[in-house]
Amino acid sequence: MNPLEDELRELIVSALQLEDVKPSDIDPEEPLFGDSGLALDSIDALEIGVQIQKKYGVKIDPEDEHVSEYFRSVRSLANYISGKR
Amino acid sequence: MTALRLCAVIPTCNHTTALDAILTRLDAAGLPVIVIDDGSAAANAEILRAICARHPNCELQRHVFNGGKGFAVMCGMARAAERGFSHAVQVDADGQHDLDALGALIAMAERNPDAIVTGAPIYDASAPAKRRFGRKFTTFWIRINTLSFRLPDAMCGFRIYPVEKTLALVRKSVRGLRMDFDVEVLVKAHWAGIAVAPVPVKVIYPEGNLSNFQMVADNIRLAKMQTRLFFGMLWRAPSLLFSKPPRIVGGEPTRWSVMRERGAGWGLHLLAAVYRLLGRTVCLAVMVPVILYFFLSGREQREASRDFLDRMWRAGHLKRKPTSWTSFQHFLAFGGSALDKFAAWTGGISHSKLRGDGVAALNELVAKKEGAFIITAHVGNPDVVRAIGVLGNAVPLNVLVHTENAEMFNKLIAQFSPQAPVRAIPVTKVGADTAILLSDAIARGEWVVMVGDRVPVSDGGRVVEVPFFGELAAFPQGPYVLASILKAPVYLLFCARERGVFEVRFTKFADRIDLPRRDRMGAIRAYAEQYAKALEAEVAARPLQWFNFYSFWHRTSSAGGLQKATS
Repeated sequence: MNPLEDELRELIVSALQLEDVKPSDIDPEEPLFGDSGLALDSIDALEIGVQIQKKYGVKIDPEDEHVSEYFRSVRSLANYISGKR
Repeated sequence: MTALRLCAVIPTCNHTTALDAILTRLDAAGLPVIVIDDGSAAANAEILRAICARHPNCELQRHVFNGGKGFAVMCGMARAAERGFSHAVQVDADGQHDLDALGALIAMAERNPDAIVTGAPIYDASAPAKRRFGRKFTTFWIRINTLSFRLPDAMCGFRIYPVEKTLALVRKSVRGLRMDFDVEVLVKAHWAGIAVAPVPVKVIYPEGNLSNFQMVADNIRLAKMQTRLFFGMLWRAPSLLFSKPPRIVGGEPTRWSVMRERGAGWGLHLLAAVYRLLGRTVCLAVMVPVILYFFLSGREQREASRDFLDRMWRAGHLKRKPTSWTSFQHFLAFGGSALDKFAAWTGGISHSKLRGDGVAALNELVAKKEGAFIITAHVGNPDVVRAIGVLGNAVPLNVLVHTENAEMFNKLIAQFSPQAPVRAIPVTKVGADTAILLSDAIARGEWVVMVGDRVPVSDGGRVVEVPFFGELAAFPQGPYVLASILKAPVYLLFCARERGVFEVRFTKFADRIDLPRRDRMGAIRAYAEQYAKALEAEVAARPLQWFNFYSFWHRTSSAGGLQKATS
């Protein structure tokens, strides 16, 4: 497990105040959004985007057409961030 | 740099004395000339013919009747197009243009082939005082009608026009073809997004000069045109305020920016002075024809107003059954609020005009120096409070506006009051970036302002339908979503005009907006219902100050839930 993915799992749980989910419960490959997995919504995405920008200085442009790919899973987010840093 | 195929167009009506010298100068510059004899008297027509005959490069077109300066220029330009010229320099026949500036005008046109290059007169002492005043007056109106200080003195006819663009513009939208033409064409060009590039020129009033400018008739004509333009301006106000100016390349950047700033300050003082001098009632009276025009031509808005008023009547908030007259009063109230907004932003409304419980509540929050999220509405005039607060440096504001281009608004405010701590942010792009910017602002003790009664046009899904005066209406989810991310206390601000003063209502909406993940939509709906209820009370008290002139209830909206995907 890559340390960035670990950090992201923590970030998601604390930013979204997910009470019944522990960071280790999140499978880095499972979809964050949609009906399965964590089933996050666009507000969560915004909240995660804010935290990611604050912590890593990586901007995620909501107008970017690939934005849903970056947000697909913890792994894709980690790849995006390490690519941008 | 573009090579221009340039000719000169000279309209003349009985001006014969200066023409020979002008043609000699233009010959020397190698410019072919088209002279339009605009219905000169027979004897003068003969003289004109003789003068033109001496200059082989000069073509004369005679109009037997006087069609007006603008018409003459356009005929000249149409001829220029026929002969394949790309640009035409307009020169007045009375010799008041300083042809020494021709080189500068041409250089500017070469750098900006799509722009109208216009001489911006520097008057010497020979200008008659009456004319100088007239020009200042015109400049003032132009600034109002373009909502900008970008256009120079527009009465100077010494210009280079791009032929095809100008012909198209005139065919489409210019109506005044007499002395009003010079002014109207610039304003319309500005509206159409055609750049107007000024070049300073000297203007000489030759002694014993015969002017075809009829002091009364042409001034009335100018006034009429300005009124007509004023209609158009009100209609375009939002896009003009937020439009980016077409870029002008080169010229005299430093000098012009200095002059423009000074002009802005001066124009501002004049605007504010006119409002103070004439008072709101007179200004509003002047606007009545404008408002009537909108009333008669704006069918959709009229119907929306009537539908709204009928609802208010059925709900018992209007004393009499609404008629067309009530609708017109509704429009008048809107005109009045535009005036108040303008007055407020130019410092014409003082703090002492604010009344009501809200004032103390506002001051209390200002004293706390605490960041806040404020939701307003298109009811009454919350702008007045904002302007007074901002101009008084009370607290920095971040205003979310429903316009793509907020930059221009920022610039405008900076011009009105450079110290004013206000920033406009386009609401269309609220992403992590904006959220961070805003949450930093709130941490610094700044306020974020947003309206709660306009649903985003593009972002169709993000609305929530809640009861409003007994029927479902769509409200935006945005304010509650953003407030939840910003984690700031939320307030409602309403401000309505009441017998010459402004009633302010400022109430706490929530200590913090919380959208629990379990039932987000339900939470948003509850907040929107709370807002709609507060709005109802405000609107019921003063129905005529409801300024949403579209059918608020019958929109075909997909009141969807939160988007599941992020795209």
